[in-house]
Amino acid sequence: MNGTVAEAVRPPRKAQSADFVAWLVTTDHKRIGVLYMCTSFAFFLIAGILALAIRAQLAAPGLSVVGPHAFNELFTLHGTAMIFLFVAPFGLGLANYLVPLQVGAADMAFPRVNALSYWLFVAGGLTVFSGAATNGGAADAGWFAYAPLSDIRNGSGAGMDLWIVGLLMVSAASIMTGINLLATSLLYRAPGMTMWRLPVFTWEMIVTSILILMAFPPLATALAMVFVDRRLGGHFFDAAHGGNPILYQHLFWFFGHPEVYIMILPFFGVVSETIPVFSRKPVFGYVGLVLSALAIGGLSVGVWAHHMFATGAVTNSFFSAVSFLIAVPTGVKFFNWIGTMWRGQLTFPTPMLFSIGFLLNFLIGGITGVIMASPPVDFHIEDTYFIVAHLHYVLMGGSVFAIFAAIYFWFPKVFGFRLGETLGKWSFWMMLPGFNLTFFPMHVLGLWGMPRRVVTYPALAGWAHLNLLATAGSVLLALGVLLTVVNVWLSSRRPTPAGDDPWGGYSLEWVTTSPPPEHNYEWIPAIRSERPAYDMRQTAAKAP
Amino acid sequence: MQFANSGEPAVVRCSLRSFFLRCVPCGLALSGCGSYGPPAGSTRQAQAIHGLWGVLLWTGIAVGIIVYALILWSVLRYRNRSDATPPPQFTGNPPLEITWTVIPLLIVGVLFFLTYRVERYVQDVSPHPAVTVNVTAFRWSWRFLYQGSGKAIAGTPDQPPQLVLPVGQTVRVIVTSQDVVHSFYVPEFLFKRDAIPGVKNAFDLDIAKPGVYRGECAEFCGLSHARMLFTVKAVPAAAFASWMQSR
Ligand code: HEM
Ligand SMILES: [Cu+2]
Ligand SMILES: [Cu+2]
Repeated sequence: MNGTVAEAVRPPRKAQSADFVAWLVTTDHKRIGVLYMCTSFAFFLIAGILALAIRAQLAAPGLSVVGPHAFNELFTLHGTAMIFLFVAPFGLGLANYLVPLQVGAADMAFPRVNALSYWLFVAGGLTVFSGAATNGGAADAGWFAYAPLSDIRNGSGAGMDLWIVGLLMVSAASIMTGINLLATSLLYRAPGMTMWRLPVFTWEMIVTSILILMAFPPLATALAMVFVDRRLGGHFFDAAHGGNPILYQHLFWFFGHPEVYIMILPFFGVVSETIPVFSRKPVFGYVGLVLSALAIGGLSVGVWAHHMFATGAVTNSFFSAVSFLIAVPTGVKFFNWIGTMWRGQLTFPTPMLFSIGFLLNFLIGGITGVIMASPPVDFHIEDTYFIVAHLHYVLMGGSVFAIFAAIYFWFPKVFGFRLGETLGKWSFWMMLPGFNLTFFPMHVLGLWGMPRRVVTYPALAGWAHLNLLATAGSVLLALGVLLTVVNVWLSSRRPTPAGDDPWGGYSLEWVTTSPPPEHNYEWIPAIRSERPAYDMRQTAAKAP
Repeated sequence: MQFANSGEPAVVRCSLRSFFLRCVPCGLALSGCGSYGPPAGSTRQAQAIHGLWGVLLWTGIAVGIIVYALILWSVLRYRNRSDATPPPQFTGNPPLEITWTVIPLLIVGVLFFLTYRVERYVQDVSPHPAVTVNVTAFRWSWRFLYQGSGKAIAGTPDQPPQLVLPVGQTVRVIVTSQDVVHSFYVPEFLFKRDAIPGVKNAFDLDIAKPGVYRGECAEFCGLSHARMLFTVKAVPAAAFASWMQSR
């Protein structure tokens, strides 16, 4: 065992270069998944560095660490990369790796389309960033690039065009991956793997994929229309020629809110896998978890205009009601996770710590979300730092903490060796306070009326203190993230073999070897529940 | 418990002792009634919004405390005590699950009802406003035009304009933009409304307290977005009338 793992980890030199080419041309869903996750994590690190620059500029009132134009590029690239190039694609990469394994398939339904998606995603990401090398600099209209600010007549140069083209590629990549995941999980299930035995993660990916298919076409449409306005003399969003800026907002947010769930459902799935394993119990209320995911998916296409309450152009009451409603299925999930821990035997290795961190942070983001669903209150807090706090509690405190849980949980399966627990725990215990120090004060700043996306702010009472606190917190948070990067590096220098099933896992992927063979399974156990690996261990224990 | 209204730096004033005596019992950081919450609101509409905020905040805090307690209880009480017997493998409890679906439904139902009432009030526009101001946003400042008087004020990023308004009378504000989307935002009024090219957005303000209030552009609009400021000076009706007469 020991020997084989070491060999898998450090192949001889020649094999290494052959291996490199093999990675480039691979259509194996596991390799594509790993590439997807590594690439998106690289975008996370880059976007994180941009965020530190933003926090440096805002550490005190009146600084000029960067100028206003650079600042606008910074938050635009930060937001774009985090949303389009990190959180959402990391979820897709993880699904790429896990869904075929979890349903007992040998690969994705369309392996070559899968490779195409990945490379399109890489090209799209690089295209977005390449704007930074143009004369006018990178896109600078914010991650939702409202028209007509994004129009060429209002100043943004070639960087904006590259942003549009890059995101069109990313959209196409996402749509293809969505189709692939749907086909795989619906049609490529192993015998015995009925829909109601699919792991919750796979279920969440099914709903995510459906949302991708509904949300990305309108985004692509909106982007194409902006491009037509910019370069081909169109007037879709130009009020002076009968165009309508509100139309852009409708199209964008009809994508934008489902996108929010595209960025969170996969990670609801992650903690629905980790929490049961580390509580030594089956997940509580499997059917409830699946139904609530479907309910969230359905409701999430009916809330988009809660981003437009202050436009005065939408029926606020309708969108308010649906936004309130969507909190209910989210709440159901919370109670199910608590029910899973209830009367269990909890252990706290790093993936469980990050899962609990996810619960603690996401709850706050969910509560502020409900508060913003009330239009009169939103009239005050929209476009202030309160929104920034909210969206980071759900995205950073929620999705990203779950991403770290996923990294620590599945790393041994993917690479055959474990990540160090000591550094992992240090990483968690720095990220949790670092995150809260950074983002909690932003609620207060927003309530005081500090608008988002300002390059600097007046020295009003208390503003300097809270901003400085946020900047200090972001340093701690960054160091915590760095520890995990260091952990990966150190752990791969002295790999500790993981074995097939280091955690006592439940879903099918824990049955095969770590890393799994090219076709995933030499054999598949009988599947009689949503915990085939658990059932197999029970049967083995009972056998004489 | 209002001590943030005087315009003085309330947080700076809030010593550690007074912090624990006043702020903490008042509901920790996000309390609606101290220096860590939104301004109390200087218009009648804002006061209604502030009340609604309080309800939402305290509901949120209550729900948060209950769920945090359940999580922390599970973590502490059920941590592995290394007894060999595996825990009970129960998989759900339908009556319980229905309960925790229905109760949140009721809670958000009530919140929506309260929201609806306040929203009706805030969005309501009077048929006979005393003063009507046309606000035009442009990159990167504001132009205020008092309807029926020809009085106009325009600013620049370096010289933010001042909007003078009467206290105790209904003011109609009609916002639009001449280039990109901006947003007319006065934090003390707990209110903003987007300024959109081609759209005339109207709302009413009933200012309750005289004072000078900070205003800002809330929708990102490019290079000098952060400098797109203005002030609102609310003066008694008589003073307003004589100001309108002046040049
Ligand atoms: C409990 C469920 C949620 C509710 C009720 C909710 C509600 C809202 C509302 C009403 C807004 C609009 C605020 C405004 O612009 O005035 C908003 C903004 C936002 N939310 Fe959520 N949200 C929820 C969950 C999430 C999740 C899960 C994510 C991401 C993973 C998320 C990410 C965002 C982002 C990025 C924005 C910022 C939009 C902007 O740029 O203005 N939200 N949310
Ligand atoms: Cu939304
Ligand atoms: Cu503006």
